[in-house]
Amino acid sequence: MTRRWPAQTTVLVVEDDQATAKIIQVRLEMEGLRVLVAANGLEALEILDHEKVDLVTTDLMMPAMNGFRLVQEVRDLPPPKGRVPILLLSSNHSEQDMVRCLAAGADDYMAKPISVQVLVERLWRLYERSHRAG
Amino acid sequence: MQHLKDRRNRHRIACYQTWEAQLTDYLFKKGYEKGGFGPVAWPDRWLFRDFLARYQSSIGGQESELLRELYLSTGIHTSLPRRLRDRDAKVRAQAAKEIAAFRLDEPAEHVPPPVAERPWRWKPGLRMEGYLDQVLPLLNDPVPFVAHTAALALTQSRNLKFAAPVLAWVMREELYQRERLLRVLEGFGPTLLPWMKEHLESPDQNPDPWILFALLVGSHRHRESQPRLLWLLDIPNVDLRASVLKALIILADPSVYQKVLGFASSPAWEIRTQVARALGVLGGPSAVPDLLPLMADPVYEVRRNAAQSLVDLGHSGVSALTWLAEDPSADRFARDIARERLEWADERGHL
Repeated sequence: MTRRWPAQTTVLVVEDDQATAKIIQVRLEMEGLRVLVAANGLEALEILDHEKVDLVTTDLMMPAMNGFRLVQEVRDLPPPKGRVPILLLSSNHSEQDMVRCLAAGADDYMAKPISVQVLVERLWRLYERSHRAG
Repeated sequence: MQHLKDRRNRHRIACYQTWEAQLTDYLFKKGYEKGGFGPVAWPDRWLFRDFLARYQSSIGGQESELLRELYLSTGIHTSLPRRLRDRDAKVRAQAAKEIAAFRLDEPAEHVPPPVAERPWRWKPGLRMEGYLDQVLPLLNDPVPFVAHTAALALTQSRNLKFAAPVLAWVMREELYQRERLLRVLEGFGPTLLPWMKEHLESPDQNPDPWILFALLVGSHRHRESQPRLLWLLDIPNVDLRASVLKALIILADPSVYQKVLGFASSPAWEIRTQVARALGVLGGPSAVPDLLPLMADPVYEVRRNAAQSLVDLGHSGVSALTWLAEDPSADRFARDIARERLEWADERGHL
């Protein structure tokens, strides 16, 4: 199925590993998306404060503020920012972590190593779902 | 010396910056169809390996295959058999890690052209086999971190033909170390559990590997193995029973409550300690009458677990604890631990 991202759709990539962030950024930019990159949860919150973000993909393990905490903080923001779809990426595959993240308010979860193609597809699904829900 | 290090670092950063741009073109802009990644200078090939390895833990799927092909096209893998026997422990460990990271025992699915034309270039369709077999002797390496890296490489392959040697390596460690090494065995995934059921000696003869089995059932939350856990509970071995109870707590199936309750009067405190946790998890509020006798246990660990279970049960458990804490005729041990846990819960805002 063809993905038709509206112009200026913005994705915030929160990832402390610059190499991985760069790969994700380039792939998403190829989709025509505007991509903002943050190295940890604190930077992400700062960006969310100033920018209109449509989707967030965040790593779980990060310095300063981890992904789990970031999800909690974002969900405490007033709407519409507090309702931004969040996709969590983690190299820890434990069921407990997955449940914890989803319970905290993440919309989806992917275990590393991730396929960037699958990531794009999941983000598209999240975007579609959130827009259908209004 | 410092000058040399700085120069190397500058060179590394410059290489990484160039390669990062080339890599994204290569992965996403069909660079591999237009003639490859571009030349990598021969002296920089080790640097290039480290550059590629950075992505292996986070990038999977088709991109990971392409990264592997890039690695193979450098020809570095041809030196692995020599590096696995190197005198330097770090080189041996790095070689084992490399085999796991680039999954050298798997056939390549995507075969792009190599980085540069070289006599040892990677030939499409050639299956890289047997590298992990060469990692196997490293399990006996005198340097512990080399053996550990080798075990990780073998388990990450998820190939159960390595299950027996890795398990034997874990069993050579002390009991307290084995629980730590459980993370290594988890690498095989839940398919290790049916393998263990089939291949382990009877628990009557050798219960130790079954302790690992029970703990692995817990870490994988492998509900299909619960009947085997209940069978293991009948083996009269304290450590085994305690491990099985830990796994049953994680599986949290209320149907095993009565079977677990039977061990509440076990002479072994290690078992009673686990029972005190299990009853709360498996029985819910109806477990309160069974937890109260454990509050007067002579062993502190048992009393603490019983009290903690009552706290975790919420209103009904806390009411029982409050009643115990205020009852002057209650057992002194029970009263003291009830007060202690109530204070603990109050400080943390759990009440």
